[in-house]
Amino acid sequence: MKKNKIDKTPAKLDFTQSLTGLILAIFIMGHLIFEASILISNELMYKVTIMFEGYYFFGETYPGIVSFLAGFIFVIFIIHAAIALRKFPDNYRQHKVMKEHIIRMKHEDTSLWIVQLTTGFIMFFIGSVHLYMMMAEPSDIGPYASSYRVVSEHMWPLYFLLLFSVVTHAFIGLYRLALKWGFMEGKSTKTSRKRFKFLMKFLIVVYLLLGIFTLAKYIYIGNTHDFSDGVKYKSETIIMENH
Amino acid sequence: MNIIYTDVLVIGGGLAGLRVATGVKERGHDVVVLTLVPPKRSHSAAAQGGMQASLANSKMGEGDNEDVHFSDTIKGSDWGADQEVARMFTHCAPKAIRELAHWGVPWSRVKRGDRTAIINAQKVTITEKDEAHGLITARDFGGTKKWRTCYTSDGTGHSMLYAMDNKAHEDKVEIHERLEAMSLIHENGRCCGAIARNLMSGELVAYVSKATTIATGGYGRIYSVSTNAIICQGMGQAIALETGVATLGNMEAIQFHPTAIVPVGILTTEGCRGDGGLLLDKDGYRFMPDYEPEKKELASRDVVSRRMTEHIRKGKGVKSRYGDHLWLDITILGREHIEKNLREVKEICENFLGIDPAVDWIPVRPTQHYSMGGIRTKYTGESQTLKGLYSCGEAACWDLHGFNRLGGNSVSETVVSGMLVAEYISDFCDSQESSINIHSSTIEKFLKIQEDKITALLTKENGEDAYVLRRRMEEIMMDKVGIFRNGDDLKDAVDELEELLKRSKNIEVFRSKSRAANPALVNAYRTQKMIKIALTVAYGALLRTESRGAHSREDYPSRDDANWLKRTITSWENEEQTLPTVNYEDIDISKMELPPGFRGYGKDLTKHNTDTHTRQIIVDAVTDKLKKEGASRMEIQNALMPFIDKLPKKYQGINERLGENV
Amino acid sequence: MSDKKPRLLKINILRFDPHDPDDFPHMETFEIQEAYGMTLYIVLNAIREHHDNSLMFDFVCRAGICGSCSMLVNGRPTLACRTLTSKLDENITLAPLPLFKLIKDLSIYSGEWMRYLNEHLETWIHDKESELNVDKIEERMDPDLADEIYELDRCIECGCCVAGCGTIQMRPKFTGAVGLNKIARYHLDPRDKRSDEEYYELIGNEDGVFGCMTLLGCEDVCPKDLPLQSKIAYLRRMMIKTGLK
Ligand SMILES: Cc1cc2nc3c(=O)[nH]c(=O)nc-3n(C[C@H](O)[C@H](O)[C@H](O)COP(=O)(O)OP(=O)(O)OC[C@H]3O[C@@H](n4cnc5c(N)ncnc54)[C@H](O)[C@@H]3O)c2cc1C
Ligand code: HEM
Ligand code: HEM
Ligand code: SF4
Ligand code: F3S
Ligand code: FES
Repeated sequence: MKKNKIDKTPAKLDFTQSLTGLILAIFIMGHLIFEASILISNELMYKVTIMFEGYYFFGETYPGIVSFLAGFIFVIFIIHAAIALRKFPDNYRQHKVMKEHIIRMKHEDTSLWIVQLTTGFIMFFIGSVHLYMMMAEPSDIGPYASSYRVVSEHMWPLYFLLLFSVVTHAFIGLYRLALKWGFMEGKSTKTSRKRFKFLMKFLIVVYLLLGIFTLAKYIYIGNTHDFSDGVKYKSETIIMENH
Repeated sequence: MNIIYTDVLVIGGGLAGLRVATGVKERGHDVVVLTLVPPKRSHSAAAQGGMQASLANSKMGEGDNEDVHFSDTIKGSDWGADQEVARMFTHCAPKAIRELAHWGVPWSRVKRGDRTAIINAQKVTITEKDEAHGLITARDFGGTKKWRTCYTSDGTGHSMLYAMDNKAHEDKVEIHERLEAMSLIHENGRCCGAIARNLMSGELVAYVSKATTIATGGYGRIYSVSTNAIICQGMGQAIALETGVATLGNMEAIQFHPTAIVPVGILTTEGCRGDGGLLLDKDGYRFMPDYEPEKKELASRDVVSRRMTEHIRKGKGVKSRYGDHLWLDITILGREHIEKNLREVKEICENFLGIDPAVDWIPVRPTQHYSMGGIRTKYTGESQTLKGLYSCGEAACWDLHGFNRLGGNSVSETVVSGMLVAEYISDFCDSQESSINIHSSTIEKFLKIQEDKITALLTKENGEDAYVLRRRMEEIMMDKVGIFRNGDDLKDAVDELEELLKRSKNIEVFRSKSRAANPALVNAYRTQKMIKIALTVAYGALLRTESRGAHSREDYPSRDDANWLKRTITSWENEEQTLPTVNYEDIDISKMELPPGFRGYGKDLTKHNTDTHTRQIIVDAVTDKLKKEGASRMEIQNALMPFIDKLPKKYQGINERLGENV
Repeated sequence: MSDKKPRLLKINILRFDPHDPDDFPHMETFEIQEAYGMTLYIVLNAIREHHDNSLMFDFVCRAGICGSCSMLVNGRPTLACRTLTSKLDENITLAPLPLFKLIKDLSIYSGEWMRYLNEHLETWIHDKESELNVDKIEERMDPDLADEIYELDRCIECGCCVAGCGTIQMRPKFTGAVGLNKIARYHLDPRDKRSDEEYYELIGNEDGVFGCMTLLGCEDVCPKDLPLQSKIAYLRRMMIKTGLK
């Protein structure tokens, strides 16, 4: 038996990539649902917001928590992106070869990878901007504040793009994750793969719809609400003294 | 001039060639393997059914041993086999299979407890012993008394070849791919290597070696429809023949397999019938029991093929645009069994016929399958006439199979003969007599001959088209030198082939003039050689006026031990000849352990030799006497026909079996 | 089999002879009348015999078992010999598998590639300890395990999975599914005594199992239907176990 020291880095990187991807995906699934609370009512969205600001734990809001959370996600995001960068084509030749391959093969899962690559690339920029904003102005979250940002600060086109990117990227990623590690393979991998693929497509559609409606609602509020009072939301049920 | 020196040159990277190569390499000799295709793509990979070795692990193999395997083999050969060789073979087959298991072949194993099998269209329950659990199991094959055919699902040859090639990698055997041996280098009755052509660059290379081994497989492709791979063109036999010194044995002994699919001729394994599949005619009637009440579908291959042909001739065949055929029905085995144990068959049916064998019947007919004949060798694998030239596997006529080989005996032969011949070659290389001193001008001369031949093919004008000649040759062989043969047809065949041979000297490679990768050029020179091989087959068949094993003459239906208990030995002494020289080698009854008898199929038409009776009396007397004295079966065998001393020391040991010699 | 007029197939072949300094890769089209039960093996031989005798391609077993005849059929890697024309459009495009060294036209030198792979991964049973005695009863193996090993042993080294993998197109040093499957096969085999660390050294890197991006082209083009995805996942788990120890 050889006593050579093995290089454990590749294993760690691979594992970390998947783990960070998984964390981000779970985060996003929650994120978009919380975001969608606006569809039910402004009030609910507000409650969700202050929940994250710790109101229900401390009886007060600490936007810093959101900053911190955003910072944490940012770190995960960066780690994930940095590791995933290994998988990007290193040069133009590789890119070209891959493109030719995809055109030739007409193979769904290979083509999906390009989607993941492109969306990842897009998020690298827009996601960073978004995260930076959330970190910098954590208190500017809420039914009106957000709507204001979406409409008056012209964030909505970016959000559309981000939404499309993150949803496809996350669910394709999760699908790949399951197959990559042989998660819930069952007796026939052919059947389980089919199921996972269906689930992936289903969730992409559901989350896209959800996100689009949410965004539409922000846009609607942003266009109809009178912001002359500023962007602060006045809750009917929760009165905060400090505010 | 490109010359490569090595101790041992092995031409052919199939099971036989690789086994020789690893064997000599482990004995410390340098070896180079030449092969047309990557070794793993050799035809050995096609063997689906299995490998015979008397392990006696499975319930239905209980009581099996070398003796039973030996007697099955000799009967199967219609007493044409060399009995000493058959003894050496049956003794070593268990060793070979155990060695392969050690090297990684995942042989299918015995599973303790009950399982259902289909025997003779009946469901039966077989209970496997506890103590056999996990040992190598076996299935039924035609012409055997016991279930002896060991297998790996339906990819036996594949898994054997892969294990073998991997072993060669481990041993760092040098393998030169896409190199075709074009001729042997020889001088004064001594073979010193070969001239080879690189099929990619077209370059000619001389390989100079102490010992040269031809393990190039069979020559089935001289027939228009064959189960063989398309590279089984008899080039090994041809280059041996062209030395004018080496001889070929029993070239007319050609086996037809009963169940190849129509039209492409791809084989469905004998395992289909072994596992319980049935042969049906156009009325869906199971006809084999009418002809062979005892063994039915599982009679020896040549017998089943002939019965099928007879039945088709009675008008019972299914008409199709590709000629008449019969049905193979494996639907009764059930989908599960087919998908697990006969998957390859299922794939073939789906991909080449577009049918599902669990539901549909498979169209089959007898098709050329195996070449019993080949380069005639001594038991050591060395040519009888050309020193330093060895041969083994399907390429050789070592003479294990006589006039008909048993299913499962040929992959077995490849590895057994490979491991034995490797030892004999190593002994030879270790000895003084192996030293060669060949002048470079001789090598140059042989290179020049090939060079000139190629130039001639490429520069000739108004010549013959190789494809035309080749297609005609294939048709002649199929129509006139087929399953049933007769004097008139054979005479026609020989005459026309002789004509083709003359025309083949005038072949021109049209249009495609490249000296490098050029399929037209390859076809041209191979066609020239193939026609020679076809002639040895047809001519040998014409001269042999009896029926023996696979050689079946309608005008001489009986086996004639009185006149024909002998091997056909063919040579081609002179390039100007248009017919081969044919001689005969007697098979000595007085040395036989199992004197000629009735094979047990159809009516006994045998014309016996007078010596047979004499020998039988001696054999019986010796056996009786020793039995009374309480001698073991090995001792009795040794008294009748000693062979152990001929084996290399390391393979002389007695084989262990469950309940025997443990 | 029907009364319909047989189709006229248009076979477009990517041709190139690297030995000819004046040649360059170009498409050439041949027209062949379709017949019942026609495979690409029959088509290509007909072209060679009746249209252009210099056309290079490789068939050996012509029965889908030797892995010689893999090529791109309408862009997808597959075994030509068992491709029925009836399952294709009448416009058929054939090209050699990418990545492998081209010999000429449709003929590639996949054998060399596979040999390096096998030598590099040492795809043989590593067992220094036990000396074989060929006279003795063989070592036992669980029947189901034997079946499972065979399942992975069925690979015919056709190279389709290599040509079908985008990763290896970009990074030719990547081992590919064929190699990973082989390692899974030996890892499963109790006769191979290599330790997990030794396996890790072979494939625990970016050129090995961690290089695979789960594109699954391999799984979908493998003519032997090997469970490649599942086995790569298995290896990945094994290697992570070793790597995170
Ligand atoms: C479809 C089919 C199924 C079979 N099933 C069984 C079975 O179940 N059981 C059984 O026992 N037998 C079976 N057989 C028979 C058995 O497979 C063969 O007899 C055996 O594999 C031959 O092995 P070999 O090593 O002698 O030759 P091959 O495996 O044919 O190898 C020949 C080698 O020689 C090389 N070669 C040829 N010519 C040249 C040249 N001029 N220069 C350099 N190299 C050359 C080739 O490249 C190849 O590597 C089957 C045969 C067929 C056709
Ligand atoms: C800068 C932004 C990002 C980039 C550049 C990026 C890039 C990538 C790439 C290239 C892959 C494929 C890796 C491979 O094939 O092995 C990948 C996988 C994945 N990504 Fe991202 N990604 C980003 C953000 C995200 C986000 C925000 C999420 C979650 C919502 C996410 C979830 C995943 C998942 C689950 C996987 C699968 C993990 C794996 O295969 O191991 N990614 N990412
Ligand atoms: C902890 C970190 C994060 C916080 C606090 C946060 C917060 C928010 C908020 C408040 C909105 C509403 C719009 C607004 O106020 O501008 C929003 C929208 C959105 N965010 Fe985030 N976000 C975080 C991380 C991310 C990440 C990592 C992504 C993906 C890369 C992302 C993608 C989106 C998208 C796509 C929308 C649009 C919503 C929709 O269409 O429904 N967010 N986010
Ligand atoms: S894994 Fe499948 S596709 Fe890949 S080489 Fe083996 S048989 Fe071919
Ligand atoms: S296609 Fe390639 S990337 Fe992995 S899953 Fe197959 S090896
Ligand atoms: S020729 Fe053997 S697989 Fe196609």
